[in-house]
Amino acid sequence: MLKLAKVPRHDRVPSPIPDTQASMTRQEITNNNWEEALTFVALQRDRSAYAELFNYFAPRLKAFGMKMFGNEQQALEMVQDTMLNVWKKAALFDASRGCASTWIFTIARNVRFDMLRKKQSRKDDVSADDLWLNGEYPEQEADTDASQWDTQLLMDKLAPHFTSLPPAQREVMEKVYLQEKSHQEVSDELAIPLGTVKSRIRLALDRLREALDGARN
Amino acid sequence: MAHAIKFHPGMPLLEQHAEGTLSADVALAVAAHIDLCPHCQQLSRDITADLACQLAQQPVKTNTTDWQQMLHDIMAQPPLSKQAAATQAQLSAQPAESIIVNQREFVLPRALQRLAANHGKWLHLGGIATAKLPAGNDYHVSLLYISKDTEVPQHTHLGLEMTLVLAGKIVDENGEYKAGDLLINSPDDTHTPRTMADEDCLCLSVLSAPLKFKKGLTRLLNPLQQFFY
Repeated sequence: MLKLAKVPRHDRVPSPIPDTQASMTRQEITNNNWEEALTFVALQRDRSAYAELFNYFAPRLKAFGMKMFGNEQQALEMVQDTMLNVWKKAALFDASRGCASTWIFTIARNVRFDMLRKKQSRKDDVSADDLWLNGEYPEQEADTDASQWDTQLLMDKLAPHFTSLPPAQREVMEKVYLQEKSHQEVSDELAIPLGTVKSRIRLALDRLREALDGARN
Repeated sequence: MAHAIKFHPGMPLLEQHAEGTLSADVALAVAAHIDLCPHCQQLSRDITADLACQLAQQPVKTNTTDWQQMLHDIMAQPPLSKQAAATQAQLSAQPAESIIVNQREFVLPRALQRLAANHGKWLHLGGIATAKLPAGNDYHVSLLYISKDTEVPQHTHLGLEMTLVLAGKIVDENGEYKAGDLLINSPDDTHTPRTMADEDCLCLSVLSAPLKFKKGLTRLLNPLQQFFY
């Protein structure tokens, strides 16, 4: 942080652009709020907001391009193409899906990828649109699947210990956790008191917890 | 419970994919895996946000580039309206088309749909069929269909072999692979993949060099290795 504070913010000094000075109708975009800047560009074609975005990101994209291409001309071509997309497609930016920098980075990455392919004159094959989804994967589905994956992972870890539970406890656990039966159903089915079902579950969980802890050490 | 994907590309591949530095053919296999794998979708999102943050925070030297000219040129162009921009984005999104092999119909992951629409002719050999995808330069990218109860003869790899299971199930000496699982075999790995009696399998295969068959008579297949490549 100290180091950052000492660096003069030459990158954020608004440049004098005659035709945008006049349209400056609001205060300078507050500290690095690029999402806000993009929204101004999208809603009002706000030239000064865009100029601020440009002045900040263009030199950084160039540095990224230099690292990737090792060639200034191509790096600048990438910057121009990327920032043109930012200007033209600002309306597509959706702040709820991530920050402005992520959006700009993915545009630059895709522009760079397609530039490389074009240079190799491979028009018909893999394009950035194939490799990176333009937008979001369905969140709802992803969430349940991800948690299913976690459950699966846990089940994989638990499985060997599950089989070493005493048979009576295992039977109850299988009915409750794998067949998703209620404690009462299990009690009825096995003709054992409800309290016994609960205590067997507690004992089994204790054993499993112990087994997992043991595996961790 | 939905099948849980067990074989993932691993962090370095996901990072290079997010960065855009993988070769196109390898990236395609990783992208198709991500389409099928919510876990790697999340990781990719996180990695991308992290890379973007590094880009945004890197210090830059004062330089001599004439940025004002570029800025001026860009703003001279009209921005797209929301509808126009959205329409353009939709154009690149393909409707889900399925492919048919051995009278079976498969819907491919998003990453493969555009390329698979132009796949080469299916070549059949025993219970195995393969069709090239018009992708890649360093690697050969193809769809590989294996009928029920079929064994791919034991082979080693002269190069890197990536196999992404797209549908069905395949097993080899090391385990069992289902839709979304990504197997990566290096030149030293030897294996005998096969399908089970009740389930066929469709894979994406990315090869950097032909397969080499190992055992007895199957060595006779080596002249046919181009079939798999």
